[in-house]
Amino acid sequence: MKKKSFLKFWTTTQLSKLYYILFLCFITGLNAQTRAIKGKITDDISTVPGVTIKVNNKPTTTFSDENGNYSILAAENDVLVFSYIGYKTIQIVVTNQATINVKLTEDATALKEIIINAGYYAIKEKEQTGSIARMTAKDIDKQPVTNVLAAMQGRLAGVNIIQDGGTPGGGFQIKIRGRNSIRLDGNEPLYIIDGVPYSNESIGSTNTSTALPSQASPLNSINPNDIESIEVLKDADATAIYGSRGANGVVLITRKKGKSGKTNISVTASTAVGTATKFVDLMNTEQYLSMRKQAFINDGIPISDTDYDVNGTWDQTRYTNWQKELLGGSATINDFRTSISDGSETTQFLISGNYRTEGTVLPGDFRYIKGGILSSMNYTSLDKKFKISFSGNYTAQDNLQAATDLTLTARYLAPNAPALYDSNGSLNWENDTFENPLAPLKSTYRANTNDLVANSVLSYELIQGLEIKSNFGFTDLKTKEVRTIPSTIYNPVYEVGSDNSIVHLNLTNRQSWIIEPQLRGFKTFGNHKFDVLMGMTSQQQRTERLFQSGIGFANNNLINNLASAITKNTTNSDTFLYRYQAFFGRINYSYNEKYFLNFTGRRDGSSRFGPGKQYANFGAIGAAWIFSKEKFNPENSKMSFGKLRFSYGTTGNDQIGDYQFYDTYATTGVNYQGVIGLQPTRLYNANFGWETNRKLEFALETGFFKDRIFSTLAFYRNRSSDQLVGIPMPATTGFLSLNANFDATVENSGFEFSVRTVNIDSNSFKWSTNFNVSVAKNKLLSFPNLSGSTFANRYVIGQSIDIVKLYQSRGVNPQTGVYDFVDLNGDGSITTADKQIVKDLSPKYFGGIQNHLDYKNWQLDFLLQFVKRENYDYISNVPGGGQVNQSNTSGDAWQQIGDQSGSQLHTTGLNGAAVSAYYRYIESDAVITDGSFIRLKNISLSYDIPLQTVSNIKCKLFIQGQNLLTFTSYKAGDPEFKFSGFLPPLKVISGGITLNF
Amino acid sequence: MKNLQFITVLTNSFQVYRIILVFVVILSSSSCSDFVEVPLPNSQLTGTTVFESELTANAAMAQIYAQLRDGGILSGLPTGVSVRMGLYADELQDYTNSTISLTIYNNALTADNATVASLWTSSYSQIYNVNSVIQGVENATTLPIVVKNRVAGEALFVRAVVHFYLLQIYGSIPYITGTNYEMNRKVTRSSADEIYAAIAKDLESASTRLPDNYSSSDRAKPNKMVAKAMLARVYLYMNKNIEAANEASTVINSPLYAWETDLNKIFLRNGRTTIWQLASATAVRNSNEGTTFIFVSGPPPVCALRSDFLNAFETGDQRKVNWTKAVTTGLNTWYHPNKYKLRTATTSSQEYSIVLRLAEQYLIRAEARAKQGDLAGAKADLNKIRTTAGLPIITSTIATEILSEIQKQRRFEFFTEHGHRFFDLKRSGTADAILTVSKPGWNSSDIVWPIPELELNANPNLQPQNTGY
Repeated sequence: MKKKSFLKFWTTTQLSKLYYILFLCFITGLNAQTRAIKGKITDDISTVPGVTIKVNNKPTTTFSDENGNYSILAAENDVLVFSYIGYKTIQIVVTNQATINVKLTEDATALKEIIINAGYYAIKEKEQTGSIARMTAKDIDKQPVTNVLAAMQGRLAGVNIIQDGGTPGGGFQIKIRGRNSIRLDGNEPLYIIDGVPYSNESIGSTNTSTALPSQASPLNSINPNDIESIEVLKDADATAIYGSRGANGVVLITRKKGKSGKTNISVTASTAVGTATKFVDLMNTEQYLSMRKQAFINDGIPISDTDYDVNGTWDQTRYTNWQKELLGGSATINDFRTSISDGSETTQFLISGNYRTEGTVLPGDFRYIKGGILSSMNYTSLDKKFKISFSGNYTAQDNLQAATDLTLTARYLAPNAPALYDSNGSLNWENDTFENPLAPLKSTYRANTNDLVANSVLSYELIQGLEIKSNFGFTDLKTKEVRTIPSTIYNPVYEVGSDNSIVHLNLTNRQSWIIEPQLRGFKTFGNHKFDVLMGMTSQQQRTERLFQSGIGFANNNLINNLASAITKNTTNSDTFLYRYQAFFGRINYSYNEKYFLNFTGRRDGSSRFGPGKQYANFGAIGAAWIFSKEKFNPENSKMSFGKLRFSYGTTGNDQIGDYQFYDTYATTGVNYQGVIGLQPTRLYNANFGWETNRKLEFALETGFFKDRIFSTLAFYRNRSSDQLVGIPMPATTGFLSLNANFDATVENSGFEFSVRTVNIDSNSFKWSTNFNVSVAKNKLLSFPNLSGSTFANRYVIGQSIDIVKLYQSRGVNPQTGVYDFVDLNGDGSITTADKQIVKDLSPKYFGGIQNHLDYKNWQLDFLLQFVKRENYDYISNVPGGGQVNQSNTSGDAWQQIGDQSGSQLHTTGLNGAAVSAYYRYIESDAVITDGSFIRLKNISLSYDIPLQTVSNIKCKLFIQGQNLLTFTSYKAGDPEFKFSGFLPPLKVISGGITLNF
Repeated sequence: MKNLQFITVLTNSFQVYRIILVFVVILSSSSCSDFVEVPLPNSQLTGTTVFESELTANAAMAQIYAQLRDGGILSGLPTGVSVRMGLYADELQDYTNSTISLTIYNNALTADNATVASLWTSSYSQIYNVNSVIQGVENATTLPIVVKNRVAGEALFVRAVVHFYLLQIYGSIPYITGTNYEMNRKVTRSSADEIYAAIAKDLESASTRLPDNYSSSDRAKPNKMVAKAMLARVYLYMNKNIEAANEASTVINSPLYAWETDLNKIFLRNGRTTIWQLASATAVRNSNEGTTFIFVSGPPPVCALRSDFLNAFETGDQRKVNWTKAVTTGLNTWYHPNKYKLRTATTSSQEYSIVLRLAEQYLIRAEARAKQGDLAGAKADLNKIRTTAGLPIITSTIATEILSEIQKQRRFEFFTEHGHRFFDLKRSGTADAILTVSKPGWNSSDIVWPIPELELNANPNLQPQNTGY
C-alpha cells in the first residue's frame, strides 16, 4: 500500500518536473548560457573513471578522469547523461548547480545495456531476432583453465562440450545443437576471433601426435583471460550470414580492448594443483590371483612358465594400486598475467601478457608452457566519423609430454606386478619377466606452436547514417611436433641399440588472410527504422606440411637431429590452398521498437568444390515481437519484458577437405627401390556440393519484476540434408567411400530453457542465479538403402545417429557358465544380425546452475553442471586371460553348474566359447550403464582486501576450483570422459592474487 | 524552405546511391570468378599425366609393390598372412594376448572382426590400384609399347596374385578387373573354378607381356619367369598337373636360377633360388619378416613357433637347426622362425621378403609328377629338397607315401611363409583331421574366413555369408 502511494507520488512529481522543463525550454529557447559544470562520479566502493558524460542532443562529450572527476560545458536545462558499461545510465537536468556529483549503481541485469555481437553487426539483446548465447569475461576469469572451451562447459544452453583429456594441450568436442553431419569430422562450429575465421582443422600428424586422444584444440592459442565475450550463434537468423560455414553454429570470440579513463594496471598470479578425478575400481591382488588361478583350473591346463603373476615368479603378496602409482601424481600449474590499459577520448589501448606452466600427474618431467601477448588499439577521430581498431595476439606454446599415455597400462597391470625400481634406483625388469611401464616414458612428444592472430577494422561515416567499413584479418600458425622413440624404451636385454631409435617430425604452417569490405546504412522514418548491411568476403588459407622421420642414430643424444639419422624419410611435403569468397547482406526493419524483421543472406563460393558447384546461396528470415510494449500490458505490470521471436533459414557445411573433386594420383612418400610411389587418391566424383542445413526456431523471452527474473525458452528444429558423408562403398570398389552428397537427412530438435534471476540485491548482499537446460533429440529422418549400406549396423531410421546396436544379454547361463544372448532374428544362432538392441549414447539433457553471491568484499561463484546420458561401462580384456587386471565386479564369476553369477567363468583364452561370448558381451546391452552425473564444474571465492590507506590499489585474493566434486553412479572412471586409455580431465584447485592500480 | 529541404534530401540520397553504386562496382570488379578455383596441390598429378611417362608409370607400380610389402596379405608384418595364417593353423603361438590375435589363434573369427575386414579391404585397394594402372597404360598415348607391355604385365601379375590369396582365405570372391565403382559396388562372387580361370588367364597374359629378364635389381619386380612360377602353383591348385609340371620345369630350367645347398644363403637378398621378392623400404632395412618373428629375449613380443610343430621335425632335419632359433630367458625357452636372420637395419640391406622361390617349383613339380604317376620324377625333385635339408633320400615306390612325404616337406620347407601350411591343409582336405587335434577352437566351417560384415551390408549381391558365420 505504501509502495503504491510512493509510486504515484513519484510519477506525479516526475511528470510535473518534465512539464516544467519543457516549459522552460520553450521560453528560454537557444538563449541559455553555457558554463562549466564539475563533479565527481562514484559507485558503492570508490570513484569511477572513464564514465561517459554527454549533453543530450548536443555534441559535447567528456569522460571522468582517473579520480572520477569531470568537467563539462552545459547550459541550464540541458540534460547530462552519465553512462558506463555495467551501470545504470543516469540523466540529470542542469539547473543552477555548479557541481553535480553522481553515484552510479550497478545494473544487476544490465539487460538494456547488453549489446550482443552478432558477427557482422551488433544488436541489443532485447531487439535480437536470432538465438545467441553469450558469456563474458566476468565468468571466464573465474576459471583456472587454459582453453576457453573448458570455461564454456555447462554455461550455455544448447552447447555441449566435452574435454578430450587431461593431458595439457588437448582437444575438445563441441556440438552446438547436436550432430548434424553423419561424417564424424564434419560437425565443428566456425570459430571467429575478432572477425577473423580461425581454422580448427588438424595441425597434427598421426605419427607424431600420439600423446593426445584427439587433435590439439586450436583455441589453446587464445588466452581465456584476454577474452571479453563469447557469443555462440545458434539459429538460422544468426548463422545464415555465415552461409556455408554456419551449419554447426558459429563461435564468436571478442578480445578485450582498452578503455578510456584512468590508467589501469592489473597483475594476477596464481598457483594450482591438478589431480586425476576418478579411477576405475579394480581387483586387488587376492581377487586378481584367484581369478587367474581359477582360469587355469577351468581350462584344465597347468600354469605355464610365462604366467609370472601366478606361477610364483612374482611375489603373490605384493599389491600396488597402479592407477595411484602411475596417474596419482599432482600437476602443478602456475599462471601469471598482467595488463595495462589506458586511453583518451580518441585513443585507447590495451597490452596484456600471460605466462602459464602446467605439469602432469604422470611420473616424469613433463610440462606445458604457454606465453602470449595481446595488444589492442582503438582510435576514433574527434568528429567520430573515422574509426580504426587494431588487435593482435601472439602466443607461443611448448608442450612436452610422454608420447604414450599410461592410463591403459595403469588399468591393465597385474596388481602383484613387481616394483618399478630396483634397489639401485634404476628401472626394474624383474629378471626380464616384467615390461616396466615407466620405460615407454622415455619416448616423448614435444609440440611447439606459435600463433599470431591479428585484425584491423577501419570505418568511416560518409554521411549521417551511412558507414563504409572494412575488416582485415591475418593469422599465422607455426607448429613443430617431434616424437622420439629412443632405443632405451626397451629392456636392455633385447639389445636394441640406438641404430633402432626413431624420430618423427611434423612441421605444419598455416597462414590465412581475410578482407571484408562492408557498407552499412541506417535510416529512421518516424517509427520505421531500417538498418542495412552489405559486404563481401575474400579469404585464403594456405597450409604447408612437412612430415619426416629418421631411423638409426649413432647415439641417442642425437635423436633430435634429423641429419644424424642413418635413414631419413619424408612422407609428406605438400601445400594446400583453400579459397573462399562471399557476398552477404542484412536488412533489419523495426517498427516502433516493437516489431522486428531481419533478413540475412549470403552467396558463397568455396574452392573445395568442383566447377559449377562452387557457389550457393543461403539466407534466413527472423522476426520478433515485443508484446510487453503492447497496450494490454500496462507499463508498470509485473511482466517487464515479453518477446516472441521466430527464425527460419538455411546454412551450409563445406568441411570436406581440400581438392576432393580432383581425379588425381598423389605422391605417397613411400619408397620402393628408390622410386617414390604414386597412388590414386580417391574414387573420382566432381559432382558434389554443399551440405544444407535448414534451421527453424521459436522462442519466448520474458522478464518479470524489472527483469529480475529473465527467462528464454526456445524450441528449435534443424534438418541437415545433402549429407557430404562419403557414400559408403564396398571395398571391392577400391575405396570405402565416395565423396558425394548423400540423400540422408538428420534432424536435431530440442528445447532450451535458460533463466537468470536476481534473488537478492541489497547494498551489502547480492545473489544472482543463472540456470540453463537443454533437452536435445537427434534423429535420422531418412537414409536411402540403409540396410544395404555399410551403415546398416550403425544407424536406424527414426533413431539418433549416436546410437549403438548391441546384442541382448541374458546374463550367464547357469549350465555352461558363459554369457548367453537372445537370438533376436530367430535363426537359431547368435550372429552379428542379432545386434538389434538400440542404445542412444547422446545426452538426453544437460545444463548447469550458476550462482553468484556478493557479500561486502566477498564474492562466491559456483557452477553445477549436469548431464543425463548412458555410457559404456569399463571394458578390458577376457577376464582371466593374460596378465590383465579387471574391474572388481568381475570377481563374482561362475564356477560350477547351477551358479547364478554376474560374470562368466574365467578362462585363460583357451575356452573358445567363453572368449567368443566375452567379445559379444562387450557389444551387448549389458555393458551400457547410466553415465549421468552432476559435477561441481567450477567454484570461485574471492575477497577484496580493503586498503583504505592506499586507495589507488585494489587487491583481490581468490581461490578457484575446477571439477572438484562429482556425483555419479558411474563406476568406469570419469563419467564426462570418452576416450578410454587416456587421462581424463583433471580436478584443479587454484589460489592467487590480483592487484589493480 | 521546403524546396531546399527536398533538394538536400534528393542530393543526399543521390549521394547515397552513388556511394552504393561505387561500392558494388568495386566489389564485383574485385571478385573475379576464378578466385575460388585453386590449382592442384604440389603433391598430386592428374591420372592422365601419370601414364605419359615411364618414370611416373613406374612410380604407380612402385606404390603397389610398397603396398604389398607394407600391408595386406603378402606383408611380413604381423598383419600379413605369414603371421595370421601361421596362428590360424598350427605353426605359431600368439603372445600378444591382443583381442585380434587371440580370435585368430583360437579360430573364433566373426564377420565383424577387424582383421577379416582389413585383409579384405587392403587387398581390394591393391587390386583397384593395379586396375587403375592397367587402364592408365591402355589409354596412354605417349608411352612406348615395350613399357606399356611391361607395366601392364606387372599389374596383371599382381592382380592375379592378390585374387589367388583372397580365394584361399575367403572362398569364392568377386574377381575385379576394372575401376568403375558403379559396377564394382554391385559385383557378385564367382565360383572357385571361375576365379582360378581368371587368375590363370591374367598370369598367362602377364607372362607374355613381361620381359624375360628382371627389369630392376634384386628380382624385386616380376619378369616372365615370376609369372610362370605363380602359374605353376595355380595349376597345381587347379589340379592341372601337366600344366603345373610344365610351368615349374620352365622355371627350374631357366638359367636365371640355380640351386642352393646352403640353407643359410637361401633367404639372402642375392639368394640364387629367389624368384620374386619385395624390396625393403630403405636401403638399410631388412625384411619385415625378420622384424616380426625374431626376438632376442622372452616372452616373445608377437609370436613364437608352437612346440608341436618343432617336435614334428624329422631327426636330423637341418632346417630345424638353421631355420629356427631358441631364445632362453630365465627358465623359459621359445623358438622363433630364423629363415630371415636380421631383425634390424644393417649398413646395406641384406635380406628382402621372398614371395616365390625355387624350392616351391621343385615341390610343385614333384607333386604334379606323382599325381600323374611319374614317381621317379617326383622322387628326384622331392629328394633334392630332402638332401638339402640334410635328410636321407626317399626310396618308396608307393604313390600315397610319396605324396604324403611331399606334403610333409612342404610343411617344413615353407613354414611361416605366406600361409602355405594352411592352404596345403585345405587343398589336401586334411585340415579338419589335423587341426581338430591341435586347435581346440577348430570347426569345419573355419576352413574359410567370413566375408566381412560391412562388405555384405554394402553389397548385398555378395550374400550369402560363408557357412558357419
